[in-house]
Amino acid sequence: MNEFLLTVFSAAFLATVIRTSTPLLLATLGGLISDLSGALNVALDGIMLIGCLTAVIVSHYAPWYVGVLAGIGAGAAVGLVMAFFHLRMKADIIIVGFAIGALATGGTVFALSLATGGDKGTSINLPSGAVPAVDLSFLGAIPGIGPALVAIFSGHSLLSWVAAFLVFAIWYFLYRTPWGLWLRAVGEYPAAPEAAGIPVNAVRFWSLIVSGALAGLGGAQLAMFNFIGFTANMTAGRGFIALGAVLLGARHPVGVMFAALLFGAFDGLTNVLPGHYPWIPPELIRMIPFAVTILALLLFSYRAQRALALRGVKA
Amino acid sequence: MAFIEARGIGRVYPGGVVANDGVDLSVEKGEVHAVVGENGAGKSTLMKILFGIERPDAGTLSLDGRQVHFDGPRDAIDAGIGMVFQHFSLVPSFSVYENVALGSEPRKGIRFDREAAIARVRGLSEQFRLNVDPMPPVRTLPVGQQQRVEILKALYRNARVLILDEPTAVLAPQEVAELFVAIRSLIEQGCTVIFIAHKLPEVLEISDTITVMRQGRTVGTVKAKDVTEHELATMMVGREVALRVDRAPRAAGAEVCTVSNLRLVNARGADVCRDLSLGVRAGEILGLVGVEGNGQAEVMEAIAGLRHVADGRIVVADQDIVPLSVLRRRGIGIASIPEDRIAEGLATGASVAENIVATRLKDRRYVRNGLLDLKAIKANAVRLIEQFSIRVNGPAVPVGTLSGGNMQKVVVARELSEQPKLLLVSQPTRGVDLGATQFIWKTIAAARDAGAAVLLSSADLGELLALSDRLLVFYRGRIVAAFHNREGLSPETLGTYMLGLSEQSPEELRAGL
Repeated sequence: MNEFLLTVFSAAFLATVIRTSTPLLLATLGGLISDLSGALNVALDGIMLIGCLTAVIVSHYAPWYVGVLAGIGAGAAVGLVMAFFHLRMKADIIIVGFAIGALATGGTVFALSLATGGDKGTSINLPSGAVPAVDLSFLGAIPGIGPALVAIFSGHSLLSWVAAFLVFAIWYFLYRTPWGLWLRAVGEYPAAPEAAGIPVNAVRFWSLIVSGALAGLGGAQLAMFNFIGFTANMTAGRGFIALGAVLLGARHPVGVMFAALLFGAFDGLTNVLPGHYPWIPPELIRMIPFAVTILALLLFSYRAQRALALRGVKA
Repeated sequence: MAFIEARGIGRVYPGGVVANDGVDLSVEKGEVHAVVGENGAGKSTLMKILFGIERPDAGTLSLDGRQVHFDGPRDAIDAGIGMVFQHFSLVPSFSVYENVALGSEPRKGIRFDREAAIARVRGLSEQFRLNVDPMPPVRTLPVGQQQRVEILKALYRNARVLILDEPTAVLAPQEVAELFVAIRSLIEQGCTVIFIAHKLPEVLEISDTITVMRQGRTVGTVKAKDVTEHELATMMVGREVALRVDRAPRAAGAEVCTVSNLRLVNARGADVCRDLSLGVRAGEILGLVGVEGNGQAEVMEAIAGLRHVADGRIVVADQDIVPLSVLRRRGIGIASIPEDRIAEGLATGASVAENIVATRLKDRRYVRNGLLDLKAIKANAVRLIEQFSIRVNGPAVPVGTLSGGNMQKVVVARELSEQPKLLLVSQPTRGVDLGATQFIWKTIAAARDAGAAVLLSSADLGELLALSDRLLVFYRGRIVAAFHNREGLSPETLGTYMLGLSEQSPEELRAGL
């Protein structure tokens, strides 16, 4: 037990948390943007998966950053498709989202087999690029805490730092710029921005595109850093965990960052626990993040229900 | 030529409803111009055309001598026209200044310049005596203030013409007075106000000129000082109307419904009302008076079974009904005409016949062996459509396609086709035209005369005074005054209690209770 706790509170484990949280955080930010604009983006997982595959294939032929940009582009394109069906063709956003999800699960395997000449499981025959790590070993010169800082913060994906910056950028956008005000108004009470002459549908359109782009970026990080290469259904429900993180983080950029870190920590545990408790089946451990998501959502639902009950509404 | 000239405006909605048919309107600069008419007379359509939301199929519009075409509200706003709708378009969690600036934010680089917005809103509020603090979130403000936030929004966009759509419908008398102060201040500073209304005394008080509309046409334009309320009503309806209900004085019978020590709580667990007691007797109408949100609606909901009772008893016909389901309550003779007919009173996609039978699905006349007797249901609907003069092309028509007045008649027909012991009525004539109002009032009065105990809550004091035998005034979840409705009881008297400016002594209260 002690040994286990030592592992969990070690610098190496914190570094693992940052690493596992990064793709999740990017997808969560994407979920946040669409959620605040009033659309629950259940396609996040599928978009991530498409981002993964696109990034892997493109980076096989081009430099890593082109692969990352392609992941973002593919995500944005899927967001655009969703926006088209939802806003122009008036389809229900949840149905559109699940359709995209189903398409992504099958479509990525199909595209993979085309690209690799028949391989339906992994892209092992298609070596892809990797996102470079940021070396901060110079921090070691700081007396005392230097080595710990290096252990925690050095060697992370460049995209981890981008994600941290995006938390700030999205906060600034949402709460300090006029367009952020528009986006929040559209999500909360569309009649108000409509009356103020704000192009409500354009705001929704862009929100879905940006949401897709962020999920695509999350996919690129997953397939070009956390893992190198594509595996069928490699997102393993991260897009859905991201939706949970949006709610757990109280729909605020900083809140969702902490929620993503928490979920990342559980993801990290699934790597660490088997070493200490080999008798726990690994399948059970891999369920932890999902169980936590469900518990978190139950907690929220319970609080909302209690509020309703107090208002006298009978379920 | 007048400041605003609309000539021969025509608008036919898809589906063939003629909303405007050759409407003329001319508004002089710097006046308060009221547009009055029954619901469905075409006032709202005309205003939507003035504000660019609807495009006219015929006719011309000119502003300050120049012909104008509005392709959307943006164009109208740019031309200096602002509109305050009956339903406010405010984002609840945003502060006042954020709501006001939304869409036209002052910027500093890419930043929203909050300080500039706050200063501007504060300045406008002072200049036009609107008395609104720019900082609090709008959901914490009372309705009257929210309305003035809407006015600020228009002024912020440099509106010179302000269209107010039924602005007094949601206000207490004192709030109406405050609104009128603001309107006068707007006029003094060169604005023009178009005021849509159907409460005639207010119209006569505030406006300089009045245009009357009926069935999509303009009936005439008169100066407010040359016309009486009765003449206006006649112009609106096209025949003589008497908005009076003859209340036969009668001794009230035994107490049908007794509420004792009732406590209700809201979503946050705070008390909506506590220790509240009241009783209604057979054959009397008890009016619950109060600005919206002071607990009267919640008490009605609790009696109807739509709201959890935290504490206390509600006894109807010698039986505590608190543990009973809505269906059981209906079984012992409680009928309810809810406040929001669309959300709570009707299934708008279902037909008139289905709506009418919806509360009787255990009645063997309409349902046998678990199957609907469609013939009986239809025959019943046809009979009630006739009896309650509902204007509809047959019982199979979806309720959602009817006008507000006819929808309400469907609710009334369902609830009053059989004599109830206890009748709960909330806002029975909100958004209902004069003709239907008169009919609904008579129907409620008839239920009372036949021995029902009636609880009536309404935002319209005129309605409460016209119908009630007794009146209870609610303020912050407490009964602060009780009156027998006699000649000489004025809206102003009630208003003082509604706003919590005064409170009756326990002795006075007991006399009224």
